[in-house]
Amino acid sequence: MSEAMENAMANNDMLLDELDDDDPLNATGVSRKSLVIFFLIDTSGSMKGTKMGELNTVMEELIPEIRRVGEADTDVKVAVLTFSSRVMWMYSEPIAIEDFEWTRLRADGVTSMGAAFKELSIRMSRNSFLNSPTLSFAPVIFLMTDGYPSDDYKAGLEALQKNTWYKYGLKTALGIGKEANDDMLAEFTGSRDTVVHAYSGGQLAHLIKIIAVTSSQIGSKSMTLADSDHELGMEDVYEAKQKMLGQQIQEIVKSEGFDNTIPFDTGW
Amino acid sequence: MVELQIGQYIDMEYGGAARVVQELGSGGQGIVYLVEFNDMQYALKWYDIDKIKNPAAFRKNIETNINDGPPSKQFLWPKYLTKPLSTGGFGYLMDVRPKNFDSFVDILNTYKLDIDPLTGRAAKVPVQFKNLRAMVTAVINIVNAFRQLHRAGKSYQDLNDGGFFIDTATGEILVCDCDNIAPDFANFGIGGKPGYMAPEVVRGIEKPNVQTDKYSLAVVLFKLLFRGDPMEGDKVVKDICLTESAELRHYGKEAVFVYDPNDDSNRPVRGIHDNVIKFWKIYPEYIRQAFIHSFTTGIAEPNKRIIENEWQKLFVRLRSEIITCKCGRTNFSVQFTENADHTFRCPKCGSDTPSMGFTNLDYRVPLYFGCRFYACQTERGSDDFTAVTGELVENKLKAGMIGIKNLSQKTWRAKMPDGKFYPVGPGKGFPIWGGIVIDFGDDAKAYLNEANLADAPTSPNDPT
Repeated sequence: MSEAMENAMANNDMLLDELDDDDPLNATGVSRKSLVIFFLIDTSGSMKGTKMGELNTVMEELIPEIRRVGEADTDVKVAVLTFSSRVMWMYSEPIAIEDFEWTRLRADGVTSMGAAFKELSIRMSRNSFLNSPTLSFAPVIFLMTDGYPSDDYKAGLEALQKNTWYKYGLKTALGIGKEANDDMLAEFTGSRDTVVHAYSGGQLAHLIKIIAVTSSQIGSKSMTLADSDHELGMEDVYEAKQKMLGQQIQEIVKSEGFDNTIPFDTGW
Repeated sequence: MVELQIGQYIDMEYGGAARVVQELGSGGQGIVYLVEFNDMQYALKWYDIDKIKNPAAFRKNIETNINDGPPSKQFLWPKYLTKPLSTGGFGYLMDVRPKNFDSFVDILNTYKLDIDPLTGRAAKVPVQFKNLRAMVTAVINIVNAFRQLHRAGKSYQDLNDGGFFIDTATGEILVCDCDNIAPDFANFGIGGKPGYMAPEVVRGIEKPNVQTDKYSLAVVLFKLLFRGDPMEGDKVVKDICLTESAELRHYGKEAVFVYDPNDDSNRPVRGIHDNVIKFWKIYPEYIRQAFIHSFTTGIAEPNKRIIENEWQKLFVRLRSEIITCKCGRTNFSVQFTENADHTFRCPKCGSDTPSMGFTNLDYRVPLYFGCRFYACQTERGSDDFTAVTGELVENKLKAGMIGIKNLSQKTWRAKMPDGKFYPVGPGKGFPIWGGIVIDFGDDAKAYLNEANLADAPTSPNDPT
């Protein structure tokens, strides 16, 4: 039989299978819920050197680690937005975690955080980055910065706060070094509990991993029971995941006993 | 949490130390490491005690479980406790999962990731059941494992897709993550995994127990057979984002089964839930009814949930209704056309597969090469679904002559064309013919044509 004929027959078989597929073993993967993890990363000039080196390395290592967090239920995608003088996405759309490859970032310029917030609020939409036809989990949004915004971040934050995905999203922030302003970061996450601070390179690596893994697991992993003496109402579960995340992050920070006395920028 | 270092030694409760070899994976409550202890390899589950409400009570419960031992060999049960560290951290050792078992998660995904240790890049390797019998056998084994556990007065509490490993060639299973197993009505803080939790747990009015296990078990079975979520349909997808309140509604207060016959608001959506749409048509009515019951009546009335023994009977039946046609098509008998003489016609090739009736079964068992009878079918009162007591084979000396081989320990009696019954001892066989009647003893008989039963002897002592 010629190769062409064989191919034609194989195609025919496939067509037949599609038309009349009643094979109980022939399944596609279960429909998964989509989860997009947004990393908002400050790449301004002050991040130059050890901070950026540390961050690049930990992000490279992090990707394989969060690959399995979704297991059978969740399709995890990653989107990275960097901000310095310009606001830029690492890739033009969220990339499946299996296929994601970290592109090393370079630090330069000023801190256009407000512009980054605005850009995020535009992309976090059904018509843009959150266009999965299947059911979605609320996104995970993780902000990392070492300084104070050089633009009008409040305007950007206001735009973001009007975004429903942001409202339900799991928001965390990591301040790097002594310049980062935790009050401002708490404005972004909505609570102090979900803001952590890294003062040394080791802490930075450790905290990025813990926060990324913890926040992307909430919702898809087995969880402990909430203490409740009554049937849960909608008001009981409102922002429950954000609160749970804050609690878990604080527990981790406490148990690690981070030494906050030596600033990131000194003692190298 | 305190992570362990490779090469670190962890003291064991009753002496000796385990050496950490490598990390195997991490879960909601801790990390699993490969360790060496007394020259043997084990898996060490090491807890993140910050995520456990009452670590002392939790540890005590594991100790009790170790002392009680596993309810059956299908459990990857805790074996040895470690001493607690000064920080309170502790773990336990269990056997390492054999290589031929795949995780249930990978089966649901239909692939597993093979990760290159150098680059960290992942390649997809297909994971699929080798045949239909292996798949249904896996279902029976899962049901049976929980039957044994519940019989021992314990509940699993956190039944989900991460809890099983399955040999896709044979249907053998291993239940892992046995650390939340607790005496019925006791709970050490675990709630469960979203999507698998019983509605009353989601609503916060009940803690995990044997009855909530039954709900979660039905979800696991549904996922394995129908490859989708029993509660995720149109109503849920319309919400777009699964917020906390959406979860409370769709999996708790207003949970609606995708094929609820009295509520079509949550039907599967084409393009998203294609598996469920396809497989719902394939399974026989008694299987569909069992799931309808589980996810309608069973939502609000935990005591009316299907008991494991009932599931077991349904799936033993399903396994015996598999037909492998001459043309190679393998499916359940309901996907063939049943003729008046109880043969099953293949819609693809048109050939007929005969079937046998059993006096103690309310279904026909199709006969094809390699089909098997089990003790629970040929022996009255037996619920042994693993022991194969008979198999359809070809006579080794006469090609084309098919017969049944007695693989049981008992002597059967088979009616031959001369109208007489002949003894068929263990390991012996006999040809199949139109008027055949098999007397398994104890008033259990099988036949092709029920009319021939009339003149069959009622006891094995009748003249042959």
